[in-house]
Amino acid sequence: MTDWSQKTALVTGGSRGIGAAMVAALADLGCHVITCGRGDRPDDLPDAASWVTADVSNEDDIQHLAKHVTNAGGRLDILVNNAGVQVEKTVAESSNDDWDMVMGINAKAVFMLCRQFIPVMASSGGGSIINIGSISGHFSDPSMALYNASKAFVHGLTRSIAVDHGADEVRCNAICPGWIMTGMVDAAFALAEHPVTAEKDALARHAAGRFGQPLDIARAMLFLASDEAAFVTGQTLTVDGGLTAASPIRPELF
Amino acid sequence: MTDNQTLAGRVAAVTGGTGGIGKAICQRFLREGASVYALDRATAQLDGVIFVEMDVTSPEQVAAAFAKIEDQSEKLDILVNAAGIEIEKTIEDTSLDEWNQIFAVNVTGTFLASKAGLPLMRKAAGGSIINFGSYDGFIADPGLAAYCATKGAVHALTRAMACDYGPEGIRVNAICPGYIDTPMLQSFFQDNGDIETLEQAVRDVHPMRRYGTSDDVAGLVNWLAGDEARYASGQLWVLDGGLTAQVQQMRL
Repeated sequence: MTDWSQKTALVTGGSRGIGAAMVAALADLGCHVITCGRGDRPDDLPDAASWVTADVSNEDDIQHLAKHVTNAGGRLDILVNNAGVQVEKTVAESSNDDWDMVMGINAKAVFMLCRQFIPVMASSGGGSIINIGSISGHFSDPSMALYNASKAFVHGLTRSIAVDHGADEVRCNAICPGWIMTGMVDAAFALAEHPVTAEKDALARHAAGRFGQPLDIARAMLFLASDEAAFVTGQTLTVDGGLTAASPIRPELF
Repeated sequence: MTDNQTLAGRVAAVTGGTGGIGKAICQRFLREGASVYALDRATAQLDGVIFVEMDVTSPEQVAAAFAKIEDQSEKLDILVNAAGIEIEKTIEDTSLDEWNQIFAVNVTGTFLASKAGLPLMRKAAGGSIINFGSYDGFIADPGLAAYCATKGAVHALTRAMACDYGPEGIRVNAICPGYIDTPMLQSFFQDNGDIETLEQAVRDVHPMRRYGTSDDVAGLVNWLAGDEARYASGQLWVLDGGLTAQVQQMRL
Protein backbone atom coordinates (compact mmCIF):
# COMPACT_ATOMS: atom_id res chain seq x y z
CA MET A 1 0.00 0.00 0.00
CA THR A 2 1.01 3.56 -0.56
CA ASP A 3 2.39 5.42 2.44
CA TRP A 4 1.08 8.86 1.55
CA SER A 5 2.58 10.49 4.65
CA GLN A 6 6.02 9.95 3.13
CA LYS A 7 5.14 11.69 -0.11
CA THR A 8 5.37 15.29 -1.25
CA ALA A 9 3.14 16.48 -4.06
CA LEU A 10 3.04 19.65 -6.15
CA VAL A 11 -0.30 20.41 -7.80
CA THR A 12 -0.46 23.43 -10.10
CA GLY A 13 -3.67 25.44 -10.33
CA GLY A 14 -4.98 24.27 -6.98
CA SER A 15 -7.23 27.19 -6.12
CA ARG A 16 -10.45 25.84 -7.60
CA GLY A 17 -12.17 23.14 -9.63
CA ILE A 18 -10.24 19.97 -10.37
CA GLY A 19 -7.03 21.30 -8.83
CA ALA A 20 -8.70 22.12 -5.50
CA ALA A 21 -10.27 18.65 -5.38
CA MET A 22 -6.89 17.05 -5.97
CA VAL A 23 -5.20 19.15 -3.29
CA ALA A 24 -7.93 18.17 -0.81
CA ALA A 25 -7.76 14.48 -1.74
CA LEU A 26 -3.98 14.34 -1.28
CA ALA A 27 -4.10 16.35 1.96
CA ASP A 28 -6.81 14.04 3.35
CA LEU A 29 -4.47 11.08 2.87
CA GLY A 30 -1.71 12.83 4.81
CA CYS A 31 0.39 13.70 1.80
CA HIS A 32 2.45 16.89 2.02
CA VAL A 33 0.87 19.08 -0.67
CA ILE A 34 2.21 22.22 -2.24
CA THR A 35 -0.05 24.04 -4.64
CA CYS A 36 0.10 27.27 -6.58
CA GLY A 37 -1.90 29.77 -8.55
CA ARG A 38 -1.69 33.29 -9.82
CA GLY A 39 -3.72 34.78 -6.96
CA ASP A 40 -3.45 34.82 -3.20
CA ARG A 41 -3.92 31.74 -1.02
CA PRO A 42 -7.62 30.76 -1.26
CA ASP A 43 -9.54 30.85 2.03
CA ASP A 44 -10.84 27.32 1.63
CA LEU A 45 -7.46 25.68 0.95
CA PRO A 46 -6.87 22.85 3.45
CA ASP A 47 -4.64 24.03 6.31
CA ALA A 48 -2.17 21.24 5.65
CA ALA A 49 -1.51 22.44 2.09
CA SER A 50 1.19 25.00 1.31
CA TRP A 51 0.37 27.80 -1.10
CA VAL A 52 2.80 29.51 -3.44
CA THR A 53 1.65 32.43 -5.56
CA ALA A 54 3.08 31.66 -8.97
CA ASP A 55 2.33 31.95 -12.68
CA VAL A 56 3.56 28.63 -14.05
CA SER A 57 4.13 30.09 -17.50
CA ASN A 58 6.84 32.29 -15.98
CA GLU A 59 10.32 30.77 -15.61
CA ASP A 60 11.15 32.93 -12.55
CA ASP A 61 8.03 31.70 -10.79
CA ILE A 62 9.04 28.11 -11.48
CA GLN A 63 12.39 28.78 -9.83
CA HIS A 64 10.43 30.21 -6.91
CA LEU A 65 8.40 26.97 -6.72
CA ALA A 66 11.60 24.92 -6.92
CA LYS A 67 13.03 26.87 -4.00
CA HIS A 68 9.88 26.14 -2.03
CA VAL A 69 10.21 22.42 -2.73
CA THR A 70 13.85 22.53 -1.65
CA ASN A 71 12.96 24.32 1.58
CA ALA A 72 10.21 21.78 2.25
CA GLY A 73 12.70 18.90 2.32
CA GLY A 74 13.98 18.75 -1.23
CA ARG A 75 12.02 15.77 -2.47
CA LEU A 76 9.09 15.59 -4.84
CA ASP A 77 7.18 12.37 -5.38
CA ILE A 78 4.13 13.60 -7.25
CA LEU A 79 3.83 16.42 -9.77
CA VAL A 80 0.36 17.20 -11.06
CA ASN A 81 0.31 19.63 -13.99
CA ASN A 82 -3.24 20.80 -13.70
CA ALA A 83 -3.18 24.54 -14.36
CA GLY A 84 -4.91 25.30 -17.63
CA VAL A 85 -6.78 27.95 -19.55
CA GLN A 86 -9.02 27.95 -22.60
CA VAL A 87 -9.73 30.48 -25.32
CA GLU A 88 -12.93 29.89 -27.26
CA LYS A 89 -11.83 30.74 -30.77
CA THR A 90 -11.07 29.16 -34.13
CA VAL A 91 -7.58 29.42 -35.63
CA ALA A 92 -8.70 32.28 -37.88
CA GLU A 93 -9.89 34.26 -34.86
CA SER A 94 -6.93 33.56 -32.58
CA SER A 95 -4.26 36.18 -32.00
CA ASN A 96 -0.62 35.64 -31.13
CA ASP A 97 -1.48 36.80 -27.61
CA ASP A 98 -4.07 34.01 -27.41
CA TRP A 99 -1.39 31.56 -28.51
CA ASP A 100 1.08 32.84 -25.94
CA MET A 101 -1.46 32.58 -23.14
CA VAL A 102 -2.91 29.14 -23.98
CA MET A 103 0.35 27.53 -24.99
CA GLY A 104 2.24 29.30 -22.21
CA ILE A 105 0.10 27.83 -19.45
CA ASN A 106 -1.18 24.58 -21.00
CA ALA A 107 1.99 23.54 -22.81
CA LYS A 108 5.17 25.49 -22.01
CA ALA A 109 4.51 25.45 -18.26
CA VAL A 110 4.09 21.67 -18.30
CA PHE A 111 7.40 21.37 -20.13
CA MET A 112 9.20 23.76 -17.75
CA LEU A 113 7.83 22.11 -14.60
CA CYS A 114 8.72 18.63 -15.82
CA ARG A 115 12.21 19.83 -16.79
CA GLN A 116 12.62 21.37 -13.35
CA PHE A 117 11.38 18.45 -11.28
CA ILE A 118 12.32 15.27 -13.20
CA PRO A 119 15.91 15.44 -11.85
CA VAL A 120 14.55 16.08 -8.35
CA MET A 121 12.36 12.97 -8.60
CA ALA A 122 15.15 10.90 -10.13
CA SER A 123 17.56 11.84 -7.34
CA SER A 124 15.20 10.56 -4.66
CA GLY A 125 14.27 7.24 -6.21
CA GLY A 126 11.63 8.28 -8.70
CA GLY A 127 8.18 9.77 -8.81
CA SER A 128 4.91 10.10 -10.66
CA ILE A 129 4.00 12.95 -12.98
CA ILE A 130 0.32 13.34 -13.80
CA ASN A 131 -0.55 15.78 -16.55
CA ILE A 132 -4.08 16.92 -17.15
CA GLY A 133 -4.78 16.36 -20.83
CA SER A 134 -8.28 16.31 -22.24
CA ILE A 135 -10.63 14.34 -24.44
CA SER A 136 -10.29 17.49 -26.58
CA GLY A 137 -6.68 16.44 -27.25
CA HIS A 138 -8.07 13.35 -28.99
CA PHE A 139 -11.24 14.79 -30.53
CA SER A 140 -11.85 18.43 -31.30
CA ASP A 141 -14.24 20.79 -29.60
CA PRO A 142 -15.42 23.44 -32.05
CA SER A 143 -13.96 26.94 -31.61
CA MET A 144 -11.35 25.72 -29.14
CA ALA A 145 -8.50 25.35 -31.60
CA LEU A 146 -5.52 26.33 -29.46
CA TYR A 147 -6.90 24.58 -26.39
CA ASN A 148 -7.40 21.33 -28.35
CA ALA A 149 -3.88 21.60 -29.75
CA SER A 150 -2.34 22.37 -26.36
CA LYS A 151 -3.88 19.22 -24.89
CA ALA A 152 -2.61 17.08 -27.77
CA PHE A 153 0.83 18.51 -26.93
CA VAL A 154 0.38 17.37 -23.33
CA HIS A 155 -0.45 13.83 -24.48
CA GLY A 156 2.65 13.70 -26.66
CA LEU A 157 4.93 15.11 -23.97
CA THR A 158 3.51 12.60 -21.49
CA ARG A 159 4.62 9.68 -23.66
CA SER A 160 8.04 11.24 -24.29
CA ILE A 161 8.75 11.71 -20.61
CA ALA A 162 7.64 8.16 -19.86
CA VAL A 163 9.97 6.82 -22.53
CA ASP A 164 12.96 9.00 -21.68
CA HIS A 165 12.84 8.89 -17.90
CA GLY A 166 11.35 5.50 -17.11
CA ALA A 167 14.81 4.18 -16.24
CA ASP A 168 14.98 6.74 -13.42
CA GLU A 169 11.70 5.39 -12.01
CA VAL A 170 9.90 8.52 -13.11
CA ARG A 171 6.46 7.57 -14.38
CA CYS A 172 4.39 9.99 -16.44
CA ASN A 173 0.72 9.65 -17.34
CA ALA A 174 -2.05 11.97 -18.44
CA ILE A 175 -5.68 12.08 -17.40
CA CYS A 176 -8.15 13.12 -20.09
CA PRO A 177 -11.21 14.51 -18.34
CA GLY A 178 -14.47 14.82 -20.21
CA TRP A 179 -17.14 17.23 -19.04
CA ILE A 180 -16.34 17.96 -15.42
CA MET A 181 -18.64 20.43 -13.69
CA THR A 182 -16.31 23.34 -13.14
CA GLY A 183 -16.46 27.01 -13.95
CA MET A 184 -15.03 26.22 -17.38
CA VAL A 185 -18.01 24.00 -18.27
CA ASP A 186 -20.55 26.44 -16.85
CA ALA A 187 -19.05 29.06 -19.16
CA ALA A 188 -19.52 26.73 -22.13
CA PHE A 189 -23.19 26.18 -21.32
CA ALA A 190 -23.70 29.89 -20.76
CA LEU A 191 -22.66 30.45 -24.38
CA ALA A 192 -25.39 28.09 -25.60
CA GLU A 193 -28.48 29.44 -27.32
CA HIS A 194 -30.70 27.46 -24.94
CA PRO A 195 -28.55 26.70 -21.89
CA VAL A 196 -31.13 24.45 -20.21
CA THR A 197 -31.76 22.33 -23.32
CA ALA A 198 -28.05 22.18 -23.96
CA GLU A 199 -27.36 20.84 -20.51
CA LYS A 200 -30.13 18.24 -20.77
CA ASP A 201 -28.84 17.08 -24.14
CA ALA A 202 -25.26 16.90 -22.91
CA LEU A 203 -26.33 14.82 -19.94
CA ALA A 204 -28.08 12.28 -22.16
CA ARG A 205 -24.78 11.68 -23.96
CA HIS A 206 -23.07 10.40 -20.83
CA ALA A 207 -23.30 6.65 -20.31
CA ALA A 208 -22.77 7.31 -16.60
CA GLY A 209 -25.98 9.39 -16.53
CA ARG A 210 -24.24 12.36 -14.93
CA PHE A 211 -21.51 14.88 -15.54
CA GLY A 212 -18.13 14.44 -13.95
CA GLN A 213 -17.17 15.99 -10.65
CA PRO A 214 -13.69 17.27 -9.79
CA LEU A 215 -13.45 14.37 -7.31
CA ASP A 216 -13.73 11.88 -10.20
CA ILE A 217 -10.51 13.29 -11.63
CA ALA A 218 -8.89 13.50 -8.21
CA ARG A 219 -9.53 9.79 -7.69
CA ALA A 220 -7.95 8.90 -11.02
CA MET A 221 -4.97 11.07 -10.07
CA LEU A 222 -4.62 9.25 -6.74
CA PHE A 223 -4.42 5.92 -8.53
CA LEU A 224 -1.75 7.15 -10.94
CA ALA A 225 0.18 8.78 -8.08
CA SER A 226 0.01 5.68 -5.90
CA ASP A 227 2.32 2.70 -5.71
CA GLU A 228 -0.58 0.63 -7.05
CA ALA A 229 0.20 2.15 -10.46
CA ALA A 230 3.90 1.25 -10.31
CA PHE A 231 3.86 -0.30 -13.81
CA VAL A 232 1.58 2.30 -15.41
CA THR A 233 3.44 4.87 -17.50
CA GLY A 234 3.08 6.72 -20.78
CA GLN A 235 -0.69 6.40 -20.81
CA THR A 236 -3.60 8.74 -21.33
CA LEU A 237 -6.46 7.74 -19.06
CA THR A 238 -9.85 9.01 -20.21
CA VAL A 239 -12.26 9.79 -17.39
CA ASP A 240 -15.43 11.00 -19.10
CA GLY A 241 -18.37 8.87 -17.94
CA GLY A 242 -18.44 7.09 -21.29
CA LEU A 243 -18.93 10.23 -23.40
CA THR A 244 -16.32 9.40 -26.04
CA ALA A 245 -17.24 5.71 -26.12
CA ALA A 246 -20.51 6.66 -27.78
CA SER A 247 -21.24 7.79 -31.30
CA PRO A 248 -21.83 11.54 -31.73
CA ILE A 249 -25.10 10.84 -33.49
CA ARG A 250 -27.99 9.99 -31.25
CA PRO A 251 -31.15 10.06 -33.38
CA GLU A 252 -33.31 9.70 -30.28
CA LEU A 253 -31.99 13.05 -29.02
CA PHE A 254 -32.80 15.03 -32.16
CA MET B 1 -9.39 1.03 -72.06
CA THR B 2 -8.37 4.63 -71.57
CA ASP B 3 -5.05 5.91 -70.32
CA ASN B 4 -6.29 7.19 -67.00
CA GLN B 5 -7.82 3.90 -65.85
CA THR B 6 -6.04 2.81 -62.69
CA LEU B 7 -7.10 -0.85 -62.54
CA ALA B 8 -6.72 -2.02 -66.13
CA GLY B 9 -5.96 -5.72 -66.29
CA ARG B 10 -6.90 -6.29 -62.66
CA VAL B 11 -9.44 -8.82 -61.45
CA ALA B 12 -11.67 -7.73 -58.58
CA ALA B 13 -14.23 -9.54 -56.45
CA VAL B 14 -16.76 -7.67 -54.33
CA THR B 15 -18.86 -9.54 -51.77
CA GLY B 16 -22.21 -7.91 -51.09
CA GLY B 17 -21.77 -6.56 -54.62
CA THR B 18 -25.45 -5.83 -55.16
CA GLY B 19 -25.90 -3.74 -52.01
CA GLY B 20 -25.82 0.05 -51.90
CA ILE B 21 -22.08 0.39 -51.30
CA GLY B 22 -21.12 -2.85 -53.09
CA LYS B 23 -22.79 -1.77 -56.30
CA ALA B 24 -21.04 1.61 -56.29
CA ILE B 25 -17.70 -0.17 -55.82
CA CYS B 26 -18.40 -2.52 -58.74
CA GLN B 27 -19.28 0.43 -60.96
CA ARG B 28 -16.14 2.31 -59.98
CA PHE B 29 -13.92 -0.71 -60.59
CA LEU B 30 -15.50 -1.17 -64.02
CA ARG B 31 -14.77 2.46 -64.87
CA GLU B 32 -11.17 1.90 -63.84
CA GLY B 33 -10.83 -0.99 -66.26
CA ALA B 34 -10.98 -4.00 -63.93
CA SER B 35 -12.79 -7.28 -64.50
CA VAL B 36 -15.40 -7.27 -61.77
CA TYR B 37 -17.12 -10.14 -59.99
CA ALA B 38 -20.04 -9.28 -57.73
CA LEU B 39 -20.59 -12.04 -55.19
CA ASP B 40 -23.94 -11.89 -53.46
CA ARG B 41 -27.00 -13.88 -52.51
CA ALA B 42 -29.06 -12.03 -55.08
CA THR B 43 -27.98 -11.19 -58.61
CA ALA B 44 -28.64 -7.89 -60.30
CA GLN B 45 -28.24 -6.38 -63.72
CA LEU B 46 -25.18 -4.21 -64.06
CA ASP B 47 -23.55 -4.06 -67.50
CA GLY B 48 -20.09 -5.57 -67.52
CA VAL B 49 -20.22 -7.01 -64.00
CA ILE B 50 -20.14 -10.79 -63.62
CA PHE B 51 -22.61 -11.86 -60.97
CA VAL B 52 -21.99 -15.00 -58.98
CA GLU B 53 -24.60 -16.20 -56.53
CA MET B 54 -22.85 -16.69 -53.21
CA ASP B 55 -23.81 -16.62 -49.54
CA VAL B 56 -20.68 -15.50 -47.65
CA THR B 57 -21.65 -17.66 -44.68
CA SER B 58 -21.50 -20.86 -46.74
CA PRO B 59 -18.00 -22.38 -47.12
CA GLU B 60 -19.19 -24.46 -50.09
CA GLN B 61 -20.69 -21.52 -51.95
CA VAL B 62 -17.63 -19.36 -51.27
CA ALA B 63 -15.31 -22.09 -52.55
CA ALA B 64 -17.44 -22.53 -55.66
CA ALA B 65 -17.53 -18.80 -56.38
CA PHE B 66 -13.75 -18.40 -56.16
CA ALA B 67 -13.27 -21.57 -58.26
CA LYS B 68 -15.34 -19.87 -60.90
CA ILE B 69 -13.15 -16.76 -60.74
CA GLU B 70 -10.08 -18.97 -61.08
CA ASP B 71 -11.58 -20.75 -64.09
CA GLN B 72 -12.47 -17.57 -65.88
CA SER B 73 -9.70 -15.15 -64.85
CA GLU B 74 -6.94 -17.34 -63.33
CA LYS B 75 -6.08 -14.84 -60.63
CA LEU B 76 -7.48 -12.24 -58.26
CA ASP B 77 -5.92 -8.82 -57.59
CA ILE B 78 -8.56 -7.17 -55.44
CA LEU B 79 -11.00 -8.53 -52.88
CA VAL B 80 -13.55 -6.26 -51.24
CA ASN B 81 -15.40 -7.80 -48.30
CA ALA B 82 -18.45 -5.55 -48.39
CA ALA B 83 -21.17 -8.03 -47.42
CA GLY B 84 -22.65 -7.00 -44.09
CA ILE B 85 -25.82 -6.88 -42.05
CA GLU B 86 -26.98 -4.88 -39.06
CA ILE B 87 -29.13 -5.85 -36.08
CA GLU B 88 -30.62 -2.93 -34.20
CA LYS B 89 -30.75 -4.33 -30.69
CA THR B 90 -29.08 -4.29 -27.31
CA ILE B 91 -27.49 -7.56 -26.21
CA GLU B 92 -30.45 -8.49 -24.00
CA ASP B 93 -32.79 -8.14 -26.95
CA THR B 94 -30.46 -10.07 -29.28
CA SER B 95 -31.13 -13.79 -29.58
CA LEU B 96 -28.23 -16.22 -29.88
CA ASP B 97 -29.38 -17.00 -33.43
CA GLU B 98 -29.24 -13.32 -34.34
CA TRP B 99 -25.81 -12.98 -32.73
CA ASN B 100 -24.52 -15.99 -34.67
CA GLN B 101 -26.10 -14.72 -37.88
CA ILE B 102 -24.46 -11.29 -37.79
CA PHE B 103 -21.08 -12.78 -36.91
CA ALA B 104 -21.53 -15.32 -39.70
CA VAL B 105 -22.02 -12.58 -42.30
CA ASN B 106 -19.80 -9.75 -41.05
CA VAL B 107 -16.89 -11.71 -39.58
CA THR B 108 -16.98 -15.32 -40.81
CA GLY B 109 -17.90 -14.05 -44.29
CA THR B 110 -14.78 -11.88 -44.34
CA PHE B 111 -12.74 -14.84 -43.11
CA LEU B 112 -14.13 -17.30 -45.67
CA ALA B 113 -13.88 -15.02 -48.69
CA SER B 114 -10.34 -13.94 -47.75
CA LYS B 115 -9.28 -17.54 -47.20
CA ALA B 116 -10.61 -18.49 -50.63
CA GLY B 117 -9.22 -15.37 -52.32
CA LEU B 118 -5.65 -15.52 -51.00
CA PRO B 119 -4.44 -18.43 -53.21
CA LEU B 120 -5.72 -16.51 -56.24
CA MET B 121 -3.87 -13.39 -55.10
CA ARG B 122 -0.64 -15.38 -54.91
CA LYS B 123 -1.19 -16.18 -58.57
CA ALA B 124 -1.39 -12.45 -59.21
CA ALA B 125 1.87 -12.05 -57.22
CA GLY B 126 0.24 -9.69 -54.76
CA GLY B 127 -3.03 -7.95 -54.16
CA SER B 128 -5.23 -5.78 -52.04
CA ILE B 129 -7.93 -6.91 -49.63
CA ILE B 130 -10.35 -4.26 -48.42
CA ASN B 131 -12.52 -5.18 -45.47
CA PHE B 132 -15.51 -3.28 -44.15
CA GLY B 133 -15.11 -2.14 -40.59
CA SER B 134 -17.06 0.78 -39.24
CA TYR B 135 -16.60 3.80 -37.04
CA ASP B 136 -18.87 1.69 -34.81
CA GLY B 137 -15.86 -0.55 -34.26
CA PHE B 138 -14.28 2.33 -32.32
CA ILE B 139 -17.24 3.99 -30.62
CA ALA B 140 -20.75 2.71 -30.06
CA ASP B 141 -24.16 3.59 -31.42
CA PRO B 142 -26.91 2.74 -28.98
CA GLY B 143 -28.87 -0.43 -29.69
CA LEU B 144 -26.34 -1.82 -32.18
CA ALA B 145 -24.32 -4.01 -29.83
CA ALA B 146 -23.70 -7.10 -31.95
CA TYR B 147 -22.97 -4.94 -35.01
CA CYS B 148 -20.39 -2.90 -33.09
CA ALA B 149 -18.77 -6.13 -31.89
CA THR B 150 -18.53 -7.60 -35.40
CA LYS B 151 -16.87 -4.46 -36.68
CA GLY B 152 -14.33 -4.50 -33.85
CA ALA B 153 -13.55 -8.09 -34.88
CA VAL B 154 -13.06 -7.04 -38.50
CA HIS B 155 -10.64 -4.32 -37.40
CA ALA B 156 -8.48 -6.79 -35.48
CA LEU B 157 -8.67 -9.34 -38.31
CA THR B 158 -7.55 -6.66 -40.77
CA ARG B 159 -4.39 -5.93 -38.82
CA ALA B 160 -3.69 -9.63 -38.31
CA MET B 161 -4.08 -10.44 -42.01
CA ALA B 162 -1.88 -7.47 -42.95
CA CYS B 163 0.89 -8.88 -40.73
CA ASP B 164 0.54 -12.39 -42.11
CA TYR B 165 0.38 -11.61 -45.82
CA GLY B 166 2.45 -8.44 -46.12
CA PRO B 167 5.58 -10.49 -46.94
CA GLU B 168 3.79 -11.81 -50.03
CA GLY B 169 2.87 -8.35 -51.29
CA ILE B 170 -0.74 -8.66 -50.21
CA ARG B 171 -2.04 -5.53 -48.54
CA VAL B 172 -5.00 -5.65 -46.17
CA ASN B 173 -6.92 -2.56 -45.06
CA ALA B 174 -10.34 -1.80 -43.65
CA ILE B 175 -12.62 1.09 -44.47
CA CYS B 176 -14.59 2.35 -41.48
CA PRO B 177 -17.51 4.33 -42.82
CA GLY B 178 -19.50 6.71 -40.70
CA TYR B 179 -22.97 7.63 -41.87
CA ILE B 180 -23.38 6.64 -45.52
CA ASP B 181 -26.71 7.14 -47.26
CA THR B 182 -27.74 3.51 -47.73
CA PRO B 183 -30.84 1.45 -46.98
CA MET B 184 -29.08 0.36 -43.76
CA LEU B 185 -28.84 3.97 -42.57
CA GLN B 186 -32.44 4.71 -43.51
CA SER B 187 -33.50 1.70 -41.47
CA PHE B 188 -31.52 2.97 -38.47
CA PHE B 189 -33.34 6.34 -38.68
CA GLN B 190 -36.75 4.80 -39.24
CA ASP B 191 -37.05 3.68 -35.65
CA ASN B 192 -36.51 7.17 -34.29
CA GLY B 193 -39.34 9.25 -35.64
CA ASP B 194 -39.62 11.73 -38.46
CA ILE B 195 -36.90 10.97 -40.96
CA GLU B 196 -36.82 14.41 -42.60
CA THR B 197 -36.02 16.11 -39.29
CA LEU B 198 -33.52 13.46 -38.36
CA GLU B 199 -31.72 13.74 -41.67
CA GLN B 200 -31.25 17.47 -41.23
CA ALA B 201 -30.06 17.00 -37.67
CA VAL B 202 -27.63 14.30 -38.74
CA ARG B 203 -26.24 16.50 -41.51
CA ASP B 204 -25.77 19.33 -39.05
CA VAL B 205 -23.68 17.23 -36.69
CA HIS B 206 -21.13 16.50 -39.42
CA PRO B 207 -18.31 19.01 -39.97
CA MET B 208 -18.87 18.49 -43.71
CA ARG B 209 -22.61 19.16 -43.19
CA ARG B 210 -23.67 16.09 -45.11
CA TYR B 211 -23.45 12.38 -44.76
CA GLY B 212 -21.54 10.18 -47.11
CA THR B 213 -22.60 8.50 -50.33
CA SER B 214 -21.74 5.10 -51.71
CA ASP B 215 -19.57 6.87 -54.30
CA ASP B 216 -17.55 8.47 -51.50
CA VAL B 217 -16.81 4.99 -50.19
CA ALA B 218 -16.05 3.65 -53.67
CA GLY B 219 -13.47 6.42 -54.08
CA LEU B 220 -11.48 5.29 -51.05
CA VAL B 221 -11.88 1.61 -51.97
CA ASN B 222 -10.55 2.40 -55.43
CA TRP B 223 -7.50 4.14 -53.99
CA LEU B 224 -6.76 1.29 -51.61
CA ALA B 225 -7.20 -1.23 -54.42
CA GLY B 226 -4.73 0.49 -56.73
CA ASP B 227 -1.00 1.04 -56.97
CA GLU B 228 -1.15 4.57 -55.56
CA ALA B 229 -1.75 2.89 -52.18
CA ARG B 230 1.12 0.41 -52.57
CA TYR B 231 2.57 1.19 -49.09
CA ALA B 232 -0.80 1.30 -47.31
CA SER B 233 -1.53 -1.79 -45.25
CA GLY B 234 -2.93 -2.84 -41.90
CA GLN B 235 -4.82 0.40 -41.44
CA LEU B 236 -8.36 1.26 -40.45
CA TRP B 237 -9.44 4.11 -42.69
CA VAL B 238 -12.20 6.13 -41.09
CA LEU B 239 -14.40 7.80 -43.72
CA ASP B 240 -16.97 9.90 -41.94
CA GLY B 241 -16.83 13.53 -43.08
CA GLY B 242 -15.02 14.47 -39.89
CA LEU B 243 -17.81 13.19 -37.63
CA THR B 244 -15.57 11.41 -35.14
CA ALA B 245 -12.83 14.06 -35.19
CA GLN B 246 -15.02 16.10 -32.88
CA VAL B 247 -16.10 15.67 -29.32
CA GLN B 248 -19.80 14.76 -29.17
CA GLN B 249 -21.73 17.75 -30.37
CA MET B 250 -24.20 18.94 -27.80
CA ARG B 251 -27.06 21.14 -29.01
CA LEU B 252 -25.44 24.42 -28.12
